[in-house]
Amino acid sequence: MNELALLQNYLTIGSLLFGFGLVGFLCRRNMIVMFLSAEMMLLGVSISLVGWGRFHNDFGGQVLTIFVLAVAACEAAVALAVVLVLYRRSGSLDVVLWQRLRESSLPDYVDEELPEEVTPTPTWPQLPPAGVRPEITPQEERERAHV
Amino acid sequence: MNDTPASDAAVSAVEATAQTFDRGDVGWIAVAVVTGTLGLWLLLPPSGAKRRLSGMVLMIAALAVLGAARLIPVGDWGYDAMYAVLSGLTVVAAVSTVTFRNPVYCAIWFALTLLGIAGLFLIDGAQFLGVAIVVVYAGAILVMFLFVLMLANPSGRAAYDRLSWEPWIAAPVGVLLVAIVTLTYHQAFDTGDTAPLPSASTEALADGVLANQHVARLGNQLFGRYLVDVEVAGVLLLVALVAASAIVAAAPGEPNNSKRAARGERP
Repeated sequence: MNELALLQNYLTIGSLLFGFGLVGFLCRRNMIVMFLSAEMMLLGVSISLVGWGRFHNDFGGQVLTIFVLAVAACEAAVALAVVLVLYRRSGSLDVVLWQRLRESSLPDYVDEELPEEVTPTPTWPQLPPAGVRPEITPQEERERAHV
Repeated sequence: MNDTPASDAAVSAVEATAQTFDRGDVGWIAVAVVTGTLGLWLLLPPSGAKRRLSGMVLMIAALAVLGAARLIPVGDWGYDAMYAVLSGLTVVAAVSTVTFRNPVYCAIWFALTLLGIAGLFLIDGAQFLGVAIVVVYAGAILVMFLFVLMLANPSGRAAYDRLSWEPWIAAPVGVLLVAIVTLTYHQAFDTGDTAPLPSASTEALADGVLANQHVARLGNQLFGRYLVDVEVAGVLLLVALVAASAIVAAAPGEPNNSKRAARGERP
């Protein structure tokens, strides 16, 4: 097997994972998705470590990946605790709500216009009338419209 | 002079390097950068159906160009097929993790990414890691689900899921990083007519990383050569545990459990 080609393939996929994780961490605003993106960056580094370990015929790459796993576990514990605390204080997972933590000289980030949301209106089946029409109050009529 | 096996091996290694690097130049990488940036920007929220579709097409084109320029068959048909399937799954799932606006779907795609990575580890001779990563991250994904269901708007209708933070800057940054990394190692590996980077021979690999009793050898290294590091990692885990419980238990601005207990209230 061409070991150099193997290493190059693994480095490519590792750099791709790191890049996508970076993009997700920089521009997603949901704190949970940001956390997933950070984990993805760690995984990209792990893939290159394993590739290098095989290239040099050394277990060091795999051992280092095990340590990366341990650090990822620590990061998960602390990050989720912080997410929980921030959610308790702001009632939202939006990271922009905490933008006052940055330098005070920077201008505030203002939301752009939100794209219009298409909410599907539920369509209910219309049953054909049959039998004697029961007497119903207007309130009952309102409630039954959606049953 | 070339009759000796050693110099034969050296010559064939130089030839292999030349074959490895006879394609994939800067121009194609530039094409992949432009297409990938556009595709990623279109895929990221806010995105409607049309934007997503065109973003998907552009992203697949960029990945195909990058793969054609950078992925090199290693000379084993079955291995190459396996690698193509697993890497494709991993990359597609990674893009979806980052770009889907519904956090539940993000978590599911992240789980798929993990499965792809576990497969890549398995075929690269890291069997223990391939299994360990699934076991470790399965718990992480479950906790993610719990968090999303408890805290987030699980349908992705929240404003912060439908907008992203300056994607026209973040997308080029990420794509350019990938391009720089791939170009750098490509140039570093392309040694031209001189001897290539020394890689382990098949026999050495069969007696080393790829040997039987993989877990025994890995454990031998972990608890022999890296014993101190294991201790440090253990301390780190303990500190993280204490820190996490301290952060959650004593969050400022929140009625503290110990204060409540001091007032005689129930927590």
